[in-house]
Amino acid sequence: LFTLFRKITGTSEMTKENVQPILDQMQQHLMAKNVAADVAAKLCASVGEKLVGRTKGTFTTIKSVVKQALEESLTQILSPKRQIDILRDVRAAQQEGRPFSMVFCGVNGVGKSTNLSKIAFWLLSNNMRVMIAACDTFRSGAVEQLRTHCRKLRTMLDDTDDAHPRVVVYDRGYGRNDAEVAADAIRIAKSEKYDVVLIDTAGRMQDNAPLMRSLTQLIRTNKPDLVLFVGEALVGNEAVDQLTKFNRALQDYSEERNPRVIDGILLTKFDTVDDKVGSSISMTYITGQPIVFVGTGQHYFDLRKLNVKSVVSALLKPVQK
Amino acid sequence: MVLGDLGRKIKGALWNMTSATVIDEEVFDELVKDICRALIESDVQVGLVSKLRNNIKAAVQFDDSGAGVNRRRQIQRAVFTELCKLVDPGVTPWKPKKNQPNVIMFVGLQGSGKTTTCTKLAYHYQRRGWKACLVCADTFRAGAFDQLKQNATKARIPFYGSYTEIDPVVIAADGVEKFKQQGFEIIIVDTSGRHKQEDSLFEEMLQVSNAVDPDNIIFVMDATIGQACQGQAQAFKDKVDVGAVIVTKLDGHAKGGGALSAVAATKSPIVYIGTGEHIDDLEPFQTKSFVSKLLGMGDVQGLMER
Ligand SMILES: Nc1nc2c(ncn2[C@@H]2O[C@H](COP(=O)(O)OP(=O)(O)OP(=O)(O)O)[C@@H](O)[C@H]2O)c(=O)[nH]1
Ligand SMILES: Nc1nc2c(ncn2[C@@H]2O[C@H](COP(=O)(O)OP(=O)(O)OP(=O)(O)O)[C@@H](O)[C@H]2O)c(=O)[nH]1
Ligand SMILES: [Mg+2]
Ligand SMILES: [Mg+2]
Repeated sequence: LFTLFRKITGTSEMTKENVQPILDQMQQHLMAKNVAADVAAKLCASVGEKLVGRTKGTFTTIKSVVKQALEESLTQILSPKRQIDILRDVRAAQQEGRPFSMVFCGVNGVGKSTNLSKIAFWLLSNNMRVMIAACDTFRSGAVEQLRTHCRKLRTMLDDTDDAHPRVVVYDRGYGRNDAEVAADAIRIAKSEKYDVVLIDTAGRMQDNAPLMRSLTQLIRTNKPDLVLFVGEALVGNEAVDQLTKFNRALQDYSEERNPRVIDGILLTKFDTVDDKVGSSISMTYITGQPIVFVGTGQHYFDLRKLNVKSVVSALLKPVQK
Repeated sequence: MVLGDLGRKIKGALWNMTSATVIDEEVFDELVKDICRALIESDVQVGLVSKLRNNIKAAVQFDDSGAGVNRRRQIQRAVFTELCKLVDPGVTPWKPKKNQPNVIMFVGLQGSGKTTTCTKLAYHYQRRGWKACLVCADTFRAGAFDQLKQNATKARIPFYGSYTEIDPVVIAADGVEKFKQQGFEIIIVDTSGRHKQEDSLFEEMLQVSNAVDPDNIIFVMDATIGQACQGQAQAFKDKVDVGAVIVTKLDGHAKGGGALSAVAATKSPIVYIGTGEHIDDLEPFQTKSFVSKLLGMGDVQGLMER
């Protein structure tokens, strides 16, 4: 009688055998959406663990159950456990009579300087005074790039008061020690009552030990309020290695007991990947850190908050050709 | 070696197969699976990988009762053929000609390394006795002209650009014209970064190309790129006549499989690779020798003989 009852309501158990093929499909799908292979595998495995042994209802297919569980996992990975409220933290620093400082770091060419300028624009729009510290003293044109942005921002703001500009670049040219340039900038920003110091750094490969050590030095000596890792949405499997190694280097090369690591992620070039938005998953899965901003273009307005819902739905949609 | 990890994994997979006593369908499937996994982990486009999987599978028949050795050879040949197709577009790379102007235009996504690589390539030719120069047709990126100017000055390479002209088409045309008249042999035109989602940027690229009528267009690609590569590379190829690929940032950890997707999309060979930020961090790339190294041809041939 009992078995008959079960048959009528049609519930059935989900087994490794009937779930696995669907998980394999999902894994392939996530990789096509540019989720790193390793992350896609782990994610699907954990969804499998959650589902095997459970029963599903009459009118649902295993596929839809898996899809829903995956949707939940993806949403959870992208939802910050910790809110970063920069404006609030800047005001708190103001109360202490010091500038709030943030460092932009990451590999070469991902968009550190451009998105730093967008954040400057956003802070200026919130009536903050901003100093940009030109601590990329290596790459040709890096200083002039920031000066150009600064000039454009001042024009946009109609800022003509050269004695008290609302945004300035502090630079000491090329070939300097970046940590010292940052220290000088923070000191001057304090005496000239700038609210925020945005510290641009040179791009560096995560395996380049001397450069990673010097970044650690910059962070250790200047104790910035926020360390942002800038990564581009275009990156594939390397996302995992970049973040793991940036974090590890900041820990290993620091001689402190509680070394600083990355506080948050700035995900750039989001406008260049269509629906292949998987790098957002790879990056947050690896670090557990929030995506604080998303860069969506080359103009000052092209800065957004991550829309978790739309990213998850883009990830689950069929792959665009 | 570039893509070396990938090569190692594929060789490992082939070895695993050969060490199996019986080559049945199960062993074969495992081999194909291992190879495909290695390719995807190296950022080769998922679609390309499944095509490769199907082609290899179609080339090997299990119903005919051929001997074990035969089958082994059949499988190795199928894998080899398909991987060659992936890396080698079968096109001979363009070569500049002495004593005449050769115009080379650089295109690519934002931040891929165009400006840096432009100088590297000009320097490469200059050291080999060519009269080389640079034209900065990027009027968009802040500090773009300063970047090229500082790079060129350090390497003593003549350059052309403007702080006031805002039309890249005008600068490109003027610069190329000027250097042609002065008898330069290698004239390299740097352009702004762009992406397929913004039509106006692609239109601008076409106009620059029309204005300077380049002898070769080089698509510069970052080795860390993932699944978006194929679509972007394809779109560049559809708009202008891309003839070669340079993969940059291979000094990092990236395996550079995205490059293979770009080769497939543009049907153009990889001609150089970038291995650092300094001016001499540029290495020529030979598809043929890469493929044989990738597959450890020696080993494979040895196995086939047995
Ligand atoms: N489409 C698009 N392009 C972007 C975005 N952010 C930055 N870029 C472009 O990416 C290129 C590189 O940006 P930069 O800000 O110079 O990158 P960087 O990380 O500072 O580079 P290095 O200092 O050389 O390591 C520029 O052409 C930017 O305009 C974005 O969100 N979308
Ligand atoms: N490590 C490493 N860095 C590289 C290599 N090639 C370029 N870069 C760095 O990548 C960053 C971007 O290079 P650019 O030459 O400015 O790139 P681009 O394509 O001209 O950028 P846009 O003009 O903004 O589109 C810079 O920091 C370069 O130093 C390379 O082979 N290895
Ligand atoms: Mg920069
Ligand atoms: Mg450039």
